[in-house]
Amino acid sequence: MIPAVRSELRKFFTTRLWWGMAIAVFVSAAGFAVLFGFVVDQGGQTGPGGGQLTGDDTQVANTIYTAGISVGYLLLLTIGILAIGAEFRHKTITATFLAVPNRTRAMLAKVLALVGIGVFYGVVSLVGSVAAGSVVLRVIDRPAFPSSAVGRTLALSLLVLALWALIGLGLGILIPNQVAALFIGVAVAWIVEPLLGVLLRIWEFSRENIAPYLPSSATNSTLDIVTQSPEEIRLDWWVGALTLGAYAVVLSALGIWLLSRKDVT
Amino acid sequence: MTTATATREGRIEIAGLTKRFGGFTAVDDLSFDVEPGRITGFLGPNGAGKTTTLRMLLGLIRPTRGTATIGGRQYTTLSRPLSTVGAALEATNFHPGRSGRDHLRVLADTSGIPTSRVDELLELTGIPAAARKRAGGYSMGMRQRLGLAAALLGDPQVLVLDEPANGLDPEGIRWLRGFLRHLSEEGKTILVSSHLLREVEQTVDDVVIIANGRLVRAGTMADLRGTPGALVRTSDVAGLAGALRVADVTSTVQDDDSLVADTTDLRLVGDVALRAGLPIYGLTPRAADLEALFFELTEGTNRNLGEAAAPAERDAVTGEEGANE
Repeated sequence: MIPAVRSELRKFFTTRLWWGMAIAVFVSAAGFAVLFGFVVDQGGQTGPGGGQLTGDDTQVANTIYTAGISVGYLLLLTIGILAIGAEFRHKTITATFLAVPNRTRAMLAKVLALVGIGVFYGVVSLVGSVAAGSVVLRVIDRPAFPSSAVGRTLALSLLVLALWALIGLGLGILIPNQVAALFIGVAVAWIVEPLLGVLLRIWEFSRENIAPYLPSSATNSTLDIVTQSPEEIRLDWWVGALTLGAYAVVLSALGIWLLSRKDVT
Repeated sequence: MTTATATREGRIEIAGLTKRFGGFTAVDDLSFDVEPGRITGFLGPNGAGKTTTLRMLLGLIRPTRGTATIGGRQYTTLSRPLSTVGAALEATNFHPGRSGRDHLRVLADTSGIPTSRVDELLELTGIPAAARKRAGGYSMGMRQRLGLAAALLGDPQVLVLDEPANGLDPEGIRWLRGFLRHLSEEGKTILVSSHLLREVEQTVDDVVIIANGRLVRAGTMADLRGTPGALVRTSDVAGLAGALRVADVTSTVQDDDSLVADTTDLRLVGDVALRAGLPIYGLTPRAADLEALFFELTEGTNRNLGEAAAPAERDAVTGEEGANE
């Protein structure tokens, strides 16, 4: 298993994608930390969604440190999709399966490699957001590390990015055309899901029992950041993490199962 | 050819192999063996089912029926696949943004093969410098060489190469021929597919010819060629045939009023004709027309031509080549 994981990691780090993504993750993490810092400082009344930003010092710090994460997890979603989509597109999947004929094993190696890659980008993201964010927090006169819960959020942001990469992997297998997979993945996460969230909040039942379990909402709950709307229900951080984990496991397991039965032509 | 081999090691055995894609039967009850220490040509026109067969052999496509084994084992159960079978399936399967060398290193990692082996193979296939560039700009010849290097990574006993000469220049084809010959002399099993008999004619020892997913002919190249002879044109073919019979040479009269004598001794034919007092208009050594034979075996009922084209094609073939079988 270790040789196969090493192969997958080398596969990832031998094209130009990885440092392009690293720059994007770093810049978005630092940039959004600064931006959110000043948004919070502007009276703290209106958030980017037009709603009210409400939260204590911890939530404010969490929000600033993970401000870029909604871009970050989308980038990891892209990485996950490309990890398998590029293999379909350039037909390198043939070479991959010739070298590791047990497909479940080949794909589990990809899963482990993506977890590592997710953590790697998580660190890149944290370096950007903590460096920029702690300065901003000082500037706006808020404590940089108000509680130990901030440390938990920082650690969980690594997990969140890894899980989104796995969601991407599953999506990339289920939609073998990588352009379509990217389009659908990004559209669902950024357009469909927020709209669906608004819609679901109309009814009491769906507001409490469905909306918080959508992937992006679950991500926000995991990281315990400020809410943009008083109607938005937050799960406990660990319920959020488990929910997001369930998406990752179900999607990638379904993808791997399908791929293990597919003819590679 | 199929029985009484003591060891199965390095032997490819295809038995009753069938693959249906929906209602289309790509490979139909195909059986043949490939022996170690020989180069076997796997031939058939485009769309005959060659690639599907090779992909089933390599565990990439699930057969509908039948088995394909290497040394008695299915590819997917091999514990060290790259060190058992080396395969080069399509010359275009590289990520354009990754260098050829890195492509090989990615594969090498899975089997714990060191980078020094990668560099050794790039040297051997003659692309050590070019392989450090990104694969997007590679020529077809470069891709073929890189594919071959990938197949050889684990120093496997068995090599499966799909159309390896495709896109190579004449110099490259000559290099490939020598290279494969060298490998087969080491005792390796080599299976090379091609849609052109002429391309592999001088390379292979055995041939397996398929058409429309079915086996048409399997045997040695020498069998396929048949016995060589001498083609003679003269004024009286029957007279010359009689004179040759006296000299212990059998011969057959062709449709176009020429004579094929079953000997390679052109002088003998000339001397006999002179003694018989017959003029010679032409005297040439004659090998079996492999190209024509190949067409006859494979093209006559090509499913890809469709309904309309098929009858005309069949007429042309039976009308012209009927004497050969």
